[in-house]
Amino acid sequence: MGDQQEENMGMSSVLKEVQELAEKFKVEEDEQYISPYAHLEKATVLQEARIFHDPVAVRENPRKCCTVIAQLLHLQNTGQFLSGTEATEVFFGVTKLFMSDDASLRRMVYLFIKDVAETCNPDDVIIVTSCLTKDMTCDVDLYRANALRVLVRIVDAAMLGAIERYVKQAVVDSSGQVSSSALVSASHLFVSSPECAAVVRRWISETQEATSSPNEMVQFHAMQLLYQIKSHDRLGVSKLVSQFSQRNSLRSPLALVLLVRYTAKLLHDEHSEGRNTGSSISEGSPVTKAGYHFLESSLRHKSELVVYEAARAICNLPATEPQDLSPAISVLQLFLSSPKPAVRFASIRTLAMVANSHPRIVSKCNEDLEALIGDTNRSIATLAITTLLKTGSENSIDRLLKQISSFLTDIADEYKITIVRSLQKLCLTYPAKHRVLVGFLSNFLREEGGFDFKRSIVSSIVALIRTVPETTESSLLHLCEFIEDCEFTMLSTQILHLLGELGPQTTAPARYIRFIYNRVILENSAVRAAAVSALAKFAASCPSLRTSIMTLMKRSLVDEDDETRDRTSIAVSVLEEAMAKYPYVAPPEDAAAEDIPADKPVDGDTAAYLLLEPLPMSFDKLERSLKAYMAAPMAMQNPEPVTLATLPVVEDTPAEIMKAQSMDAADAEISGLGDLNGLEDKKKEIVDPAAAVYAIPELAALGRAFRSSTPVQLTESETEYVVTCIKHIFENHVVLQFTVQNTIDEQRLDNVTVLVDDSGTDVFTASGEIAATGIRCGDTKHCFTILERNTEAALTSSHFTCELRFTVVQIDPVSGEEEGDSFEEEYPLEDLEVATSDFMAKVSVPDFRKAWEAVGNANEVMEKFALQFKKMEDAVSAVIDFLGMQACDGTAALKPNAGNKPHMLHMSGVFMGNQQVLSRAQIAMQGDNGSGVVLKIAVRSDDPNISRMVADCIH
Amino acid sequence: MSAFPPLLPKVDAVLVFDGDGTRLAGKYYGDFLKKQQGEKSLEETQTMFEKSLQQKIGGIAARPDAAEIVTVMGRTAAFAGGVNPGGGGGGDVRVVHVGPPGESELVLAYLCEGMYDALAHLMGGSTDRTMVLDNLELVFLLIDEHCDGGIILETDGSKLASAVLLRDDEGMQEGGMDQGGMPQGASQQGLPPGVSAGDMTIGQAFRQARAQFLGN
Repeated sequence: MGDQQEENMGMSSVLKEVQELAEKFKVEEDEQYISPYAHLEKATVLQEARIFHDPVAVRENPRKCCTVIAQLLHLQNTGQFLSGTEATEVFFGVTKLFMSDDASLRRMVYLFIKDVAETCNPDDVIIVTSCLTKDMTCDVDLYRANALRVLVRIVDAAMLGAIERYVKQAVVDSSGQVSSSALVSASHLFVSSPECAAVVRRWISETQEATSSPNEMVQFHAMQLLYQIKSHDRLGVSKLVSQFSQRNSLRSPLALVLLVRYTAKLLHDEHSEGRNTGSSISEGSPVTKAGYHFLESSLRHKSELVVYEAARAICNLPATEPQDLSPAISVLQLFLSSPKPAVRFASIRTLAMVANSHPRIVSKCNEDLEALIGDTNRSIATLAITTLLKTGSENSIDRLLKQISSFLTDIADEYKITIVRSLQKLCLTYPAKHRVLVGFLSNFLREEGGFDFKRSIVSSIVALIRTVPETTESSLLHLCEFIEDCEFTMLSTQILHLLGELGPQTTAPARYIRFIYNRVILENSAVRAAAVSALAKFAASCPSLRTSIMTLMKRSLVDEDDETRDRTSIAVSVLEEAMAKYPYVAPPEDAAAEDIPADKPVDGDTAAYLLLEPLPMSFDKLERSLKAYMAAPMAMQNPEPVTLATLPVVEDTPAEIMKAQSMDAADAEISGLGDLNGLEDKKKEIVDPAAAVYAIPELAALGRAFRSSTPVQLTESETEYVVTCIKHIFENHVVLQFTVQNTIDEQRLDNVTVLVDDSGTDVFTASGEIAATGIRCGDTKHCFTILERNTEAALTSSHFTCELRFTVVQIDPVSGEEEGDSFEEEYPLEDLEVATSDFMAKVSVPDFRKAWEAVGNANEVMEKFALQFKKMEDAVSAVIDFLGMQACDGTAALKPNAGNKPHMLHMSGVFMGNQQVLSRAQIAMQGDNGSGVVLKIAVRSDDPNISRMVADCIH
Repeated sequence: MSAFPPLLPKVDAVLVFDGDGTRLAGKYYGDFLKKQQGEKSLEETQTMFEKSLQQKIGGIAARPDAAEIVTVMGRTAAFAGGVNPGGGGGGDVRVVHVGPPGESELVLAYLCEGMYDALAHLMGGSTDRTMVLDNLELVFLLIDEHCDGGIILETDGSKLASAVLLRDDEGMQEGGMDQGGMPQGASQQGLPPGVSAGDMTIGQAFRQARAQFLGN
């Protein structure tokens, strides 16, 4: 065709011309051509931008102006930002360019205004409105589309009203470009302000019309705006969805993707708002059925976009049965072998998610998944492996591991960590496979890898030791091999500590000694110190090894590091003393296996006690306990020595309770939820609640507070006088600290006391009051009432009626001066209860089982109760409340998926007088209909009366 | 359950990287990266994000018609372009689309492929760093025509290219007739009539040479 010919001619002539031009350049300047965007400097560009003010230059040379604008825009990429005044100045220059009618230049001007509109003063920007409005109403599509898009960035609702007519017209314009621009602009306006949204709402019929445009992008944009307008109108959305899904008029794949999403949203709302109660689609409501039908038919659409969207929507639906999912899974399975990486990625990501809830359905894709392990996109390969680890059966594990190992060497650490976590989970599912899996994890340790990767493996192995004890011996040996060649001090010390803790209990402790001693010879000081401690633990717990370990340890007595030397000296001296006292007698060589006594230190072995017994409380608690001791009046003049037993009991802080409840801190760390560190950072300085009591000289004689309760509200929080009460428990007294707040402007409260009526109980007698005085509006002051406890009588829960008594002094709220009379006033408060649980401090024990056996059943009290609770959760938390004890071993939370099995609750606490109390409770649902629960509780302590009192707390 | 797909699909960023991960052009939309910046400035967060993005995509060359997907800082990113190890392919420049976590990977890939196609058109088939840098204004215009404030405007590669070159669709089919309303300027800035997108390289070289010449 002529076109073709002309093109060929054009080619040669163009080439010629270029060559000529090039020669001309050579003559004129002997420089290379430099890109206009290389090495830009702000000052130079700003200088160049002055050209905008020269009308002749603008008219003659629009190209130059374009380049300068592009240079201005490019400045941002190089990190050189225009300041506010610079931007404004340039902006005014650019507005002058409207006088040129060069199309390219105009296009760049639009672009610039849009970019700068955000950084400039809106008042300055507004001046271009008239130019833009003119362009918006001209007959060039390109001008109109662009002017529209710029204009909506700078108008407010009032101005929008003025141009509304044009925008409305533009929505249904025959040009796709203009129509799309108008619709997208409307979408932006809709979210920019409620006033603009109100205007946009009026364009609904035009938008509706635009959905039937032949242009695909217009359909997409119209769909989006239509949904935005209707999104808060449930029926409207429902109608929109059913209308378009039946009419089948949308051709644009993107518009259909939207429709699928809206349908899915509708089905979710249908479910969450309770209109769809069936457990599968076939039992669902009509809307659900119709929606599902549409989604399913979309699976057969010709565009992959729509098919994937529908498949994903189906997989995410609530209340689905496996048969509802299977058409979607089949489609995703096909996608797995697509040549496009995005398709493979999307489908495997969805399948991985489905595998969490329905591994069985996904398992039919296993073959395709295995093929993806070698995918060039490492994200896809990693997802394939983690999915396979979820869906694979027990006997396919070995094969799978083989495939993984070949793949692992060349992926990034991040992916490796993901796989390590999946392997750990897999080991929990199939504990029988622990040997293979732990072996595999240990092989990982020998691979190249960063700290995070190695740490995740070590913590996985450690977590498995705790949950699957059979792995202990093999894991320890693997870890020993790892520290032989470990560059991370933190991991080495952690493993050495673990070895010291678990190694001695294994069948052949001696085999670990070599590994540990190697560290003493070869490592840096931190690791040496940890190794020495581990050796000491081995020696302390295995008397048969003591002589040999002593030989090794004595060499560290001359270590150059202070910490190592100190640890060694302590251990050596303690061990020598113990060895002299209880020399080890080796069993005769011909003794039968069963006659050989266990290799354990004898009772009373000082070395074992000193080196193996952990502190009865954490350092953190010890610190708090000592501070509480010092805070009590006269404590520092006390002639008695301070011992652990006489230290004040401190309760667990909320942070510690949180930590105990998060089942397994290691697990939380592995799953990435480890916010515990953050919590501890935020931990506030804990104030001793009894400090207010110690400050009152009259109360000093009472001694030290055993514990203080949390504040109890005695009034509603909105009343005239707000009163809360803290109960401080002393050895023979209870001090009630009433915190009184006055909220009345014109009153000052004097001589404030709380009258506590003790007639209802034999255990307590109100023996004294300390009044608060001068409580002004907004002030909070404390008054005290002292209850004397009858130590002969057993504690039961006691109720007291309370009444606030005070003298009201009328004052002028402004000056605060007294005016008028004062009079006596009484104000009734809610009843106060002093329960047995108030005498119990929530203190956890490190090892409940050990502690439980140590206390013994001599003073055990067992009881059985029937309680009226509808739910297990409620019953468990109520029992904890009744006793006022601390739940141990994470038993405060129900085990997931336990069904109606009985729940075992372990609790510990310290009762008044530093008496340790432990209790085990079994809570079971009674019958199937949730009519109540049966509680069996056993309480142990050293004092039968206390056990009885605690058991009686249940009511 | 993973996050729901957004009901109003928006992209978080459209970026054009060279082979070393330097941003040649690009735009961030909405408050992506603004929420999590903490004490860092917005630019620092962007640089950090781009660094970790480049780390993931650096080694992969995606075919122009089959975008690759990676996840970066919880976001899904689709990209096309990059140098193929075995030679061939376009240039080292990559087009990256970043979307929210719930966005369909296929949609992002679709958008990305469309824009890459347009870019290849505009650059006359050679999408390497110098070519893109020399024609940055076209890239700016392309991004603007492709995406308005995060909402995708147009995805079709040839339509995008003609919009950038100020030709409407019909004009393109009729062999490069310039649009009415700009009679004189057209010969100076658009493409001269008779030059189709195929030999754009020469056309552009010519245009640049001419502009440079006239400017002196």
